[in-house]
Amino acid sequence: MTDTNKIHLLMVDDEVKFLETITKRLELQFFQITTATNGEDAIEAARTGQFDVAVIDLQMPGIDGVQVLETLKKNHKYLEVLILSGHTTIELAVDCTKLGAFQVLEKPCDFNKLVEAIKEAYEVRLKKKFEHDQERIKQIEALAIGQSPLGILKGLAQMDEDAK
Amino acid sequence: MNDSSQLMNAENLLFFGKVNASISHELKNILAIISETSGFLRDLTDLAKQGKELKIDLLESCCESINEDVQRGFSTIKTMNQFAHSVDYPIKEIDLVELLRLIVHLTGFLSYAGKVYIENDDDGNNHDVLTSPFLLQNLIYQSLIFIFNQTGSNNKIKIQMITGEEGTCLIFNSTEKLNTNLFETPEIKKAAQALGIAVTEKVPGQEFKMLIPYASSEIKELADRLQIERSSED
Repeated sequence: MTDTNKIHLLMVDDEVKFLETITKRLELQFFQITTATNGEDAIEAARTGQFDVAVIDLQMPGIDGVQVLETLKKNHKYLEVLILSGHTTIELAVDCTKLGAFQVLEKPCDFNKLVEAIKEAYEVRLKKKFEHDQERIKQIEALAIGQSPLGILKGLAQMDEDAK
Repeated sequence: MNDSSQLMNAENLLFFGKVNASISHELKNILAIISETSGFLRDLTDLAKQGKELKIDLLESCCESINEDVQRGFSTIKTMNQFAHSVDYPIKEIDLVELLRLIVHLTGFLSYAGKVYIENDDDGNNHDVLTSPFLLQNLIYQSLIFIFNQTGSNNKIKIQMITGEEGTCLIFNSTEKLNTNLFETPEIKKAAQALGIAVTEKVPGQEFKMLIPYASSEIKELADRLQIERSSED
């Protein structure tokens, strides 16, 4: 499987051994993984990389998982985020979901469940992107009718501006 | 301290619960690593059955990893056990060095805590004190997490032990400066007063001194009361 066909994951956990082992296992399942051991590095990695799904530990030194979740969802509209927590409560799950988390999973997590959750999150991402692209195509088609080439270019620039 | 029921007030129960929660979190992390490593071994076995080469160095590193984390688990449970037994006796003569080491180990389970170093803990001096082990643990633990909450996990705290005629002096030195006097915070002030421990700020926001007498008058009074309570129950 080439890299372009693989699901690009951002794995974030301050427990280095856990991160290394789970990364090896996920790579055997043909995911492409980038890791970060703290919130700041995770946010920076997401800024420069193109990720499909992020899996984030909640309790980390410095910026915690909730803050990372908020920042990632704010800056990357189509990035789906899974939370892995060693201490999950209903309140926590509700709070994270309200902030945009796709799912909250408890550590230690069944590996197959994690893989399943990542794939579901990826499908949701693809669907959202597809719907957005379809909408954009409709907007471009509407724009192209009865417009001069310059008018079309200006319209496209405005669309890009509005999308930011 | 009015009576022994103060030992089990809400703040102390909160401390007890907080520490136990951090220990359980640590054990979960350890089990998560062991679980993933054993899962990885299963993955490699499945690949071998499909005819893929089995790399011996990978097997060796997995076995080593499992062993390391099992030992880490045992160490965590030993610490948990030590902490659990700290409420066996309301007043007891204890080795202050052992107590400090236990607390440093416990703060290590917190994701937001930085490093804590103890100086002069092996100077050969006698560091025994008559105290409430549980309350003294609470005081030192709350002091450390207060500092880390304010300064973050990059901070390093040095605890220097100096034994003199008045008792053992603990000097907390923080590399990052605090905005407030550690010992003016209500919970820490209350805990120190209950134990008859004098606390002062040596260098504003950075160095704090805690003088622990061998047996403060508050502790002696409580020890006497407990003996009176025991004899009236007989």
